[in-house]
Order: sequence, then structure tokens, then C-alpha cells
Amino acid sequence: MSREVTIVIDGREVGAVEGEMLHDAAKRGDVEIPVFCYEPKLGDPVGACRMCLVEIEGIPKLQTSCSTPVRDGMVVHTRTDQVKEAQSAVVEFLLVNHPLDCPVCDKGGECPLQDISMGWGPGKSRFTDPKRHFQKPLPLSPLVAIDRERCILCYRCVRFSQEVSEDAQLQLLERGDRTFVGTFDDRPYVAPFHGNITDICPVGALTNYTYRFRARPWDIEEAGSVCTLCPSQCNVSFTIRDEKVKRVIARDNPDVDDGWLCDRGRYGFEMFDATERVRAPRLRGGTATDWETAIAKAAEGLSAAKGAVAALVGDASNEEGYLLQRITREALGSANVDSRVSRGASRESLLHLARPELSAKVRDIDQAEVILIVGSDPMHASPILDLRVRKAMRRKGARLVLATDRPTALDGGAEAISRYAPGGATLFLSELAAALRLNTEGGAAGDCTEALKDAQRVVILWGERIGREGEGALHALLDVAAALDLKANEGSGLLEIPEAANARGLREAGCLPDAGPGLSETGPGMTTEEVRAALESGELSSLLLFGVDPLRDFPDTEGWRRALAAADHIVCFSIFETDSTATADVVLPLETHAEKDGTVTYPDGRLQRVRSSASRPGDIRPNVGVLAELSLALGHDTGVVSQPTAFEALTEAVPFYADITDAEIGGRGIRWQERDGATNLPPVAGGDSRGATSRGVSGEPAPAPGAGSGGAELVLGTYRDLWVGPITELNPPLKFLEPRQTVEMSVADADRAGLKSGDEVLVAQNGSSVRAAVVVRERVQEGVCFLIEGTAEGNANGLLNGAPVSVTVEKAGP
Amino acid sequence: MPETRMLLKNAEDPRLRTLAGYKGYGGYATLERAYREMEADEVLKELEDSGLRGRGGAGFSMGKKASFLPRGEMDKYLCCNADESEPGAFKDRELMQRNPHQLIEGIAIAALAADAGHAFIFIRGEYDSQADVLDAAVAEAYEAGYLGVDILGTRRDLELVVHRGAGAYICGEETALLDALEGKRGNPRLKPPFPAVQGLYGGPTLINNVETLSNVPHIVAHGAEWFRGFGTEQSPGTKVVSVSGRVRRPGNYEVELGIPTRELVYDLAGGPLEGREVKAFYPGGSSSPVLSAEEGLDLPYSFEAMAEAGSMLGSGSVIVADDTVSIPHMALRTARFYHHESCGKCTPCREGTNWTVKTLERVVRGEATPMDLDIVASVQENIMGHCLCVLGDSMAMPVGAMVRKFRDEFEEAITAAEKASRLDAVQGVPETLGAAT
Amino acid sequence: MSPVDGPGIVNPDLPVDPAVTEGRVPDRSPEEVPELHEVGCPAELRERIEELMSRYPDRKSASIPALWAVQRLYGWCTPEGVRQAAAVMRVTPAYLESVASFYDLLHTEPVGAHKVAVCTNISCWMRGGDELLEAFRAAAGGDEDFLVTGFECLGACDIAPMASIDERYFGPLEGAEAQAAIAQLRAGEDVLPEKALEKRPLPGGPDA
Ligand SMILES: Cc1cc2nc3c(=O)[nH]c(=O)nc-3n(C[C@H](O)[C@H](O)[C@H](O)COP(=O)(O)O)c2cc1C
Ligand code: SF4
Ligand code: FES
Repeated sequence: MSREVTIVIDGREVGAVEGEMLHDAAKRGDVEIPVFCYEPKLGDPVGACRMCLVEIEGIPKLQTSCSTPVRDGMVVHTRTDQVKEAQSAVVEFLLVNHPLDCPVCDKGGECPLQDISMGWGPGKSRFTDPKRHFQKPLPLSPLVAIDRERCILCYRCVRFSQEVSEDAQLQLLERGDRTFVGTFDDRPYVAPFHGNITDICPVGALTNYTYRFRARPWDIEEAGSVCTLCPSQCNVSFTIRDEKVKRVIARDNPDVDDGWLCDRGRYGFEMFDATERVRAPRLRGGTATDWETAIAKAAEGLSAAKGAVAALVGDASNEEGYLLQRITREALGSANVDSRVSRGASRESLLHLARPELSAKVRDIDQAEVILIVGSDPMHASPILDLRVRKAMRRKGARLVLATDRPTALDGGAEAISRYAPGGATLFLSELAAALRLNTEGGAAGDCTEALKDAQRVVILWGERIGREGEGALHALLDVAAALDLKANEGSGLLEIPEAANARGLREAGCLPDAGPGLSETGPGMTTEEVRAALESGELSSLLLFGVDPLRDFPDTEGWRRALAAADHIVCFSIFETDSTATADVVLPLETHAEKDGTVTYPDGRLQRVRSSASRPGDIRPNVGVLAELSLALGHDTGVVSQPTAFEALTEAVPFYADITDAEIGGRGIRWQERDGATNLPPVAGGDSRGATSRGVSGEPAPAPGAGSGGAELVLGTYRDLWVGPITELNPPLKFLEPRQTVEMSVADADRAGLKSGDEVLVAQNGSSVRAAVVVRERVQEGVCFLIEGTAEGNANGLLNGAPVSVTVEKAGP
Repeated sequence: MPETRMLLKNAEDPRLRTLAGYKGYGGYATLERAYREMEADEVLKELEDSGLRGRGGAGFSMGKKASFLPRGEMDKYLCCNADESEPGAFKDRELMQRNPHQLIEGIAIAALAADAGHAFIFIRGEYDSQADVLDAAVAEAYEAGYLGVDILGTRRDLELVVHRGAGAYICGEETALLDALEGKRGNPRLKPPFPAVQGLYGGPTLINNVETLSNVPHIVAHGAEWFRGFGTEQSPGTKVVSVSGRVRRPGNYEVELGIPTRELVYDLAGGPLEGREVKAFYPGGSSSPVLSAEEGLDLPYSFEAMAEAGSMLGSGSVIVADDTVSIPHMALRTARFYHHESCGKCTPCREGTNWTVKTLERVVRGEATPMDLDIVASVQENIMGHCLCVLGDSMAMPVGAMVRKFRDEFEEAITAAEKASRLDAVQGVPETLGAAT
Repeated sequence: MSPVDGPGIVNPDLPVDPAVTEGRVPDRSPEEVPELHEVGCPAELRERIEELMSRYPDRKSASIPALWAVQRLYGWCTPEGVRQAAAVMRVTPAYLESVASFYDLLHTEPVGAHKVAVCTNISCWMRGGDELLEAFRAAAGGDEDFLVTGFECLGACDIAPMASIDERYFGPLEGAEAQAAIAQLRAGEDVLPEKALEKRPLPGGPDA
């Protein structure tokens, strides 16, 4: 494959890999060649800026080192007079139209153009005519300002839009030196990844409104951490000034994020300052209190339940989850702990799914021959994976097979799409497994089977959500994996797209009703749904909530309202005041991911470290310490006093995390599957051969829609939009993205019901209804409609009670 | 000295445009023979042996370029470059307008040699009426079975599409042409990979000029040996030369390569206007370094002679400037063109053309200093060899040559304009510095 | 570095997006690939573009021809027209606008129905192209029905000074003929029949 070669740069021998770009080889040999347009993350080099010209013996003209592949024995000069003159000429040309407003430019001090001008430029420009003028700065989007005078037309931002996010909204307009970066009809550039262009712009042309004039390079510090606002767990660097986050930028980790961030991660931090933030402990009705009283009250209420208590965990680190399940199991004597919204995989299935030989890592996506996505739209559920899949298709020709109920952002590039009815993932997977095994053609999974049949490297991205259909979905998934022999094929495997940011870590830390730390066997406790019912029936009397908001995020809002009202005592840990905190007896503040210390586990098993970067506002204390104290107050010493001891206890409790050290995790994380400890994964009862036969289909595919009279009767599917929740509601910069409830339906159904996009409708089921605006979409299948879960108004969770439901859609009165 | 008409033969006959008229003069017989009787390699060899050099500008051997295309199953393409947008060039227009079938026949035979299944004629958008002519001719050729599926029952296919550009000189650059044809902005691509290896839609692609391809039927019909009977050793064949500017009979003249340039300018194009004399000329379109009359008029009109004189034959377009033409103004017009047409992708061309125009504008306005002339010269040097494609060089070469060869005139322009503006201020009399007509 | 661009230093109290400072809700509608049912594309335009796309191995190749079709229908590449074409081609309108704005003949702003392009490049300039342009401008007199522009070499230096009038070439032209041409266009008559390029013989005459 790649051959080691030797080249000579400026008289020095440098080792290189044949075919890599000369610029990269030189860099590893410590020879810096200046570049502007070159950025390998953006795809093939374009050779536009001409900054990287060098002399190569045997070639009369200077060559761009960013686009010249290395050959053995190449002799290169980067500092000859000819090269220096050319480089200095290019700098001079670049400055022809570049204003010299560095002192007031946000990029000043961290600007490649400034640095390269100093290092390679002529020192003084001979250009004395007027420079080009643009109105500036203008909003390119509500988040990014564009200063077109500063733009050096390096093509980076537009290449990002064409070739990385593929939204194709940001374009070059006009030609020659009149060229400028812009959008169609001056519309705002609104796309979920657009903030990345501010990271890659080598000048101050694209800057963040959220950072304008907030800080200068010399009074800031960069703090490397991990974003836990979604399961992508992108590596970030917080720009800190006065102990506060001023900016979030990408911290390239090819094993996780490839150096990109979504706009949630980039701009989400501003919500941590919201007035809704819980800044100190308080009691019911808003009475402020001190920590000691709050913890005593919480402990009192929880122990009063005498074991009739449950803990539900949402957004938490591994250590927090670990401590919570210990408190529940050891201090409260209850087996009722869960970290899932809805029912999901059993311990047995989880053990199957966790087999290292069956799991894919993020990098496997890059090399995959076929990527199968089942039951998830990465764009909404784990945005950065959307980019990863696009990259695999664009650069390596990976083929994409999609099986989802709702149209996804990746539909355009798919080779085969199976659009099943809401609740139909199990059926689809079973049919696919059968077709693959029996080598049959046609059937519901027809095209998908065809596309997958003879592929060697298959990566399956599956949404945790399919587990809501029941255990059958996971069995069927494992059957598909077996039929494709993913275990045996190097580079193949399963990768989950979970519903919560640290879902895998919490499960492995023991936050499951049927599994303790390390997926060990424990007595059965109640699932989230069962907890609700038990609260309502009085079987449970006390509840501990940690980073969850049942009234917003769980299906069956009314049921939860009754359940919370019925509870005797509720302790709620929360970052923000929510509908659920309003029902709590004790509310305790939580640190955000910018403030806390801890580890999280990426869906592919990579442990990553979240580092405390900003100061905690108000009277907030470290979560881990608070949990340890709560345990003490309940009369149980966990032995944990702080993050290091919590981490130690975690790695002792989870056998396959054994001996992992902080140093090992470092800045890049470590996959437990790649360590010796991986063999400590508990064996699966009944051997390792799950999936030989399907256990039958237990999913409940959607009921057939009836013919409606006046309006439409449709099967309801729901999804969680990338932008629902505090991220937009409590965050001024992203406020404009707050989704209002929409009902998506097919052109045919809309026509039949006499509805068009924008119409206000009531979507009703069994007496309850939500108001929504119609969005007609070509790719929605007939007979189905979709609502968003978790919106502030008209939350689809109000209509859901587990099984797929049929709804009526009718025009709303004014 | 008369013309030697091969490509423009019978071109005065309007019936030549139609299939019937073209066949009346023996048209498509070569295509039939090639498709029925010849192997791709035979055709290719004939083209290589003929020594036919590209007529689009670079003068590269057409047969050799075709031989660079890899063989094999992959889709291959042929693009006929009919973008003809270089100032001074208008020969392809004449060839397409008067003899479209000759081009189509040439494309079909070249496609056979290159094993291309898809061909495109990329014609500049301004040539609307010529594109109409081509559309009609292509439709006739499909109808007659010279294009399409299973041509003449030989199981060979060729789809030919006339693709109209929309006004951008850069699309004549072969890789920009590919981008434009793929539906993008016409920006040049990095080379390598060269189009012969990885061109249109990533497949091997042969790109040739209209005139180059129009030569193909003649070469295959009569053989390489016959073709070499015209022109010089290194520049075989005839050339349709566009002569324009300050001459009496501007127009296209087809001559054997290697005739004295003077014959072209004086005998065929009628020489300078009444009472004027030739001062300088571009021998090969606006991209070629200008030659003064003394330097250039007695050179043979061939690729090699022009190269030796430090200029080039280029597209074969002679623009003649007489003694009324101000060289600084001509330099400005030239620079303005390239500035307007620069695609903007690479820095030296985008900014260098802009800088050159701004400075030359000051020169002709008399707001420059002699130091500005040094800067202009140095800017041209800083452009040369540093750009992504040769558009930048195409300005730097002629403008650099003008500043070098006619420096006096530039310096005079500076002082004259200064004087004029002073006079202007005093008397309000405008003075023209451009060409008098 | 010192500013050579005069007072290039900008005011630090730069305006930021009003949405951020004033609490106005900014436009959140991105310009994704529009769906056909949203854009009201006339059937004949849709069919034309679909036919164009079918000519090429890759549908995107039809972008310039599709924009020509839009321009023929609406007079220029209107935002609505561009969105219609984008919906048929399944690309973003931004993509098509980017392409359109690269090319001189595609107009992304409203223009007059009659298009007169006068060559002012080297050969025509030497023979009075600038004066001809002035003559056309004067003749059109700011009438919005006309788009009179100076143009780079149109590939007809043999008929210098020349103009392309509604996509047909005429030359060599005198100032007075500019007047006549505009009048003929206004009256809907044939333009300068005797100066049409098509009518011109080869300068060297018939074959010897
Ligand atoms: C800026 C630029 C413009 C060009 N324009 C044309 C053109 O209009 N027509 C043409 O045939 N070649 C043009 N060329 C040359 C082409 O790149 C290419 O060399 C030529 O089409 C090859 O055909 P040939 O080998 O038959 O000459 C241009 C080159 C450059 C750099
Ligand atoms: S805005 Fe920045 S990234 Fe975009 S082209 Fe200009 S300089 Fe490059
Ligand atoms: S970095 Fe090589 S050309 Fe821009």
C-alpha cells in the first residue's frame, strides 16, 4: 500500500509516505511551507492561493507543494531566492485588496495571513491604488458576520459548504477580483454546521457575532474538553476569559469528530448564563436554601420512601451515573434506576451488542463499503456523524442504505431507501435478515438487500430508538449483523446512535434496571415507563431526577404529570428550571459540561474526558461531590470524595474499564475494546452465537390509517429535532432556530385534505391535540405524518403513550 | 500570393452547410471509410504521423495527445473547444458557420481514434447563430446515421451534444471548459491530472480546437504524407489566420504555415490603411507577446519561427497596430481584458491583472511615474509561472513585452498626459491619446 | 503593518446582526433544494430542463442550459426562475446563482429586452469601438428596454467595429447605423440587414 520514501528538502533527508502531499511531508520534517487554501479536511487540494510554491529539481516551473504528491528521491528547495521571491510576490498580491485593519480585527493575533505576511511577505506593499470596497461587516447568518474586504478568496468556506456539509448554500458569486462569498438572493446561511467556516477562514472575513470584540488572543486561554450536548461528543476547545466561556472551537480528533463541530456545540454555551439556570439549591416553591439543608431535606425525603423510590438519569457523566446507581441500590435499597426514555435493549442484548468484534469505531465509517443507517437521522440525533457519512460517500465512494420512517438529511446520496411506517423497524430488519440469509430477491427490503448482499465492509448505524419497538427490534438487528457476518469482517460492525449524550457510559456505569456497573447482572428494577405507572399507582412514593425533564422529554406528558403529582417527594438535579423542577421538593443545581470534571463514553466505547474549563456560577458545587455527600447523608459512604476517586471507583466497578488511567484517556480518549480489559466483558448467557435465528417479530408496526373525512387520518411518527429544548429557548444567539411545532405530510395527503404548507392545523388523538403548522414534503410517505418531540408548545410527547398512534389532522380555527 | 484552401475550400457555397451540400463535395466519405474499414489505432497513427499541431493556442501534437488516453472499458470523452474568445481570434466562427459538417466528421473520426463514446462541442454563448448552425447540422448527422447508436451499422456509438457557454473567456482553458461542461463555474483545475487521464466526469478526455478537428477528415482521407506536403517540417498543414486591426481587408485567410508574415499582412489583408505604416502586431492573438514591425514582418508564419522570436503562433490571430495606435493604450486594453476575464481562483492572476490595470490607467491618465513602469514590469514577472492556468501569463507576456519594447512610448504617455491635463486645465481642450480612426 | 488604505480602520462599534442585539427574530429559512410543489414551475420550463438534463451523463451539466432557459422565459435569471430550475435539477438555488453570476451573458439583475453588446476590445477599439458604444448609448438614450454594454472581444474583429444585437452580429458599423439599429429594434423591423455578418463573403473571395 503506502510506501515509505525519502525526499530531500533544503538539503536534508526527510522520510515521507509515497503519494502524500509535499507540504505534509515537509511539515513532518519540520519545514514549514506557508499555505492558505490548503486544508486536507476539505478534500482534494485546489491549488488556488499559490502561497506554497516551491522548487523541485527537474521541473522548470515552481510547483504548489499542497498538491504535489511526494515521489522517492524528490529534491525540493523551499528557501531559494526564486522561491522566496514567488512567495513574497503572492503575499504582496494577497494584500492588494486586503485592508490593514488588524488592530480592530477579531482575528488579529491568531491570523494566518498576519503571520505569513510577517514571515514570508515583502514587508511593504507597492500597491497604492484604492482597494476594493464592500459594505461591511454584514450578517452572513444571524451568527456569523462577513467582512468581504478582508476575504482573500481562499475557497475554504465555500468548499466546506460544497464538500463537507454539502448544504451548497454558501457560494462564490461573480468572477475575477469581483468575486465574493455569498448566498442565494442574500438569504441567511442557515445550516447546522455553518459555524465551522469561522474556524477555517484564514483571515478575519468570517467571524462569530457571539465572539465579536469579546476578547483578544492575549487575554484568553484555551481549555480542551468534550462537548456533551449530544451523543457525538465532539472534542472542543473552550476559549476562556475571566473564567467564562467566550467561544467554542473544534479540537480535531479524527477518531471522533474530524475537526468539525455542529452549531449546537459551537454556540450552545451561551445558554449557561440564562436566567433560568439553577444557581443554588432551593426547596419547593422557590425557597432558597443552603447546601447542607438541601441535602438533608433530599436525604430525608428519599429515605422516607423506604425503598419505594426510583432514580432516573439523563445528562450525566460516567462518574455521576455510577454514583447515582450506587445511591439508589446501596443507600436507598431500590433496584429502580434507569437512564433511558423508553424501554430498550435488555441486558442480554446489550451484551451481544457490546462484543468488541461486533462493534464499529468511527473511523470504520471512513473505509466502509456500505453504510446502513437504521432508525435514525444522524443530522438530528448525532450531527457530526452526518458529516462523516457524507465524507465516506464523497471521498471513498461508500454506498449508503437508509431505512427510516422519516425522510433524512442523507436521502439525496442514498443508493437504496426503505421507508417503513412508524414502528416498522423490527419488521424491516427481520425481512432484511431473512432476505440476506436466504438470498431472496424483492420483498420490502429488496433494494436494501441488493445493496448489502456482497459487501465486505459494512457499518450499520442504528438508532437506539428502534429499541422503543421492543426487544424484537434488537434481535432482528443482531440477526442482520449475523447474516452479514459483521463479526468476521474487519472494518465492519455496529455503531449505535443513542438518544442521550452519554447513553453508553451511563449504561456501562450501571444505570439500568437490569444491569449494574459493567453490565453485571442485578435484580430487576423498573424501567422509566414502569416508574411512571408505579408512581401513579402509589407503588413508588419518591423520585430522584438527575438531568432529566420528564414533562418535556418523555412520552405521555399527561401520565407524567399525574405521576409527579402523586409522588410524595421529588429531588431534582437540573441545570435549568423546567416544568419538572417546578414539581420538585428539593432542586439542586448541576454543573454544565464546561464546568464539570468527568468522563463520558462515546457510542463506540471510547472513554473521553470532560475537563472543568469555566468557573461555576452562583453557588453551584461539583456534581460528584454533591452526590457523595447525599450518599453520606443517607448513611452510606461511597468512599468517593472527588472526581479522581470517583473515576477510580468507576474503573474498579466496570471490569472492562479496569486500570484505565486519566493519562491514557488524555486528549484523544481511548476505546476500552482496544485494551486488554476488554476480555472482562461478561460473557453472554447461552454462548456467543446470538442471532442464528430470529426470535420472531415483536414490534408493533403502525396501524393502517383510515380514510378521513374532512382532514386526514394519518399514522403519527415523531422525532427529536436538533434544535428543540433549552439550546434554542434559553440561548439568545440560537433563539431564532427554536422549532415551532410542524406536521410534515406527503403531497398526496395534503392535497386530499386540502392543506398546504403553512396552514395551521390541529393534530388530534384520543381527545388530546396539538397545534402545528403544515409542512408538505415530497419525501414523506403517504398515510404518515410527523411531529416534533419536546417543543415548548404543542409537544408531540403529549400525544404519545408508547405505541404508534393514528391521528387526525384538521384545519385549526383562527 | 493566393490562399491555400483546405478547410475553407468551397466555403463560399452556402449549400456546404447542409448535409446534402457537404456530401456533394465528398463529405462523410472519410467517416464511412474510417468507421467501416479502419481500426482506432490506424486512425490514431495517421493523426500522429501527420504532425498536426493543435490550433487552439498551445500547438501540441494532436495525435500524441490522443494517444495519451488510456485504453480500456471506462467512459471516455471528446470535447471540441469552440469557445474562441481570445481577442483577435475568429477563425473557428468561420469554420463552424460555413462548414459545420466538416467539424462533425472530424469529431466523429477523432472519437473513433480516442475510443470516446460521448462528444461535446463547447461553443461560446455569444456565437448563437453559429450554435444554431451546428445544432441543425448535428441533427442532420444523427438523422443520416453518422452519429448516435450503432453508427452505419458498425456497432460504434457516439453521442454529440452542442453545449453553449454563457460568456467567459476562461472556459476556453481546457480544464475550465470541463468544469463549465460539468455545470460548474468555469474555473481551471489543477494539472496534473491532465484531462487525457482524468477529465470530464473523471474520465479520460480528449480536448481539441475546432480547427484542429476540422483537419482530421482531410488527414485521414489523404494520409499523413500528403498532409505533410503542406507547411513546414515542424508546422505541417495550413492555418486559417484571423487578421484584424489596422489593415485594409481584415478577415480569415487560409495559408500554408511558414509563409512570410508580410504576405499575410500586406498581400492578403491589404496592408495598413492609407498613409499609415505597421508599427507592431500580435502574431498569435492577444496572449502573444507583440512584435515590432521590424522584428516580425519578415518571419515565416510558423509555430517554430514565432517561438524563436520570443512570441508565439497561438491561435493564429494577427492583430495589427499602425502608427496611430498608442501602445500604452493597447497595453491597457489588453490588461483590461484579462482582468475582466480572470476567473479569480488564483491569487497572482486575480490581483495581478487588477493591479496592472489600475497602474496602466494611471499611466495613460498621466498620473503615473516612471517608477510605476518598473512596478508594472515587475508585477508581470511576479505573475509569470506562478498561476494556476496560463491566463495570468497571457496578460503578463504581451504587457511585459510592450513595456519592455516600447518603454519610450510609456514614458512619453506619462509626460504627454501630464502636459495635456495641464493644458486641459488652462484651455479646456480635450486631447485623444487613443487610436485615431 | 501600516494602513495604506487611508482610513481603513473601522469603528469598533460595528453593527452586529440586529437580530442578536435587538431581539428581532431573524430569517431562519435556509435555501435548501426547493421541492417542485413549492416553486410553481411552468410545465414547459420543467420539461425543457428535464430534456436538457437527459442529454448529459450527469444532470448538473445542464446548469448553464437550464439558466439559459430561465433567462429566455423571464428575460433574466429571476430568483423565482432560479428556484424553479433548482427544484427541477435538485440543486440549491445558491448553486445556480453562483454559476449564473460567473458568466457575462446570464443576468442576475433585471435587464432590457433588447441586448446590444458593442465590442471595445483591441481590434474594435482600434477601429472606433468606443465611439460606436457611445453612439448606441446615445441612441438608446436610457430606454429601459435596451441593455447597451461594452463587451470584450466577440470574435468578429473582421467586421470591426461591431456589435452583437439580440445575439446576431453586425459590422462594420458607423455611429449613424447605431441610431438606425435602435430605431429598427423599436419598430420591430429587421436590423441592419446589409451589415449582418452572415451576409459577408470570405475576404479572399471564392476559391481560386
Ligand atoms: C485562458 C485560455 C483560454 C483559451 N481559450 C481557448 C479557446 O477559446 N479555444 C481553444 O481552442 N483553445 C483555447 N485555449 C487552449 C486550450 O486550453 C487547449 O490547449 C486547446 O483547446 C487544446 O486544443 P488544441 O490542442 O487542438 O489546440 C485557451 C487556453 C487558455 C489558457
Ligand atoms: S471568507 Fe475566509 S474562508 Fe471564505 S474565501 Fe474568504 S478568506 Fe477564504
Ligand atoms: S496552499 Fe497550495 S496553492 Fe494554496
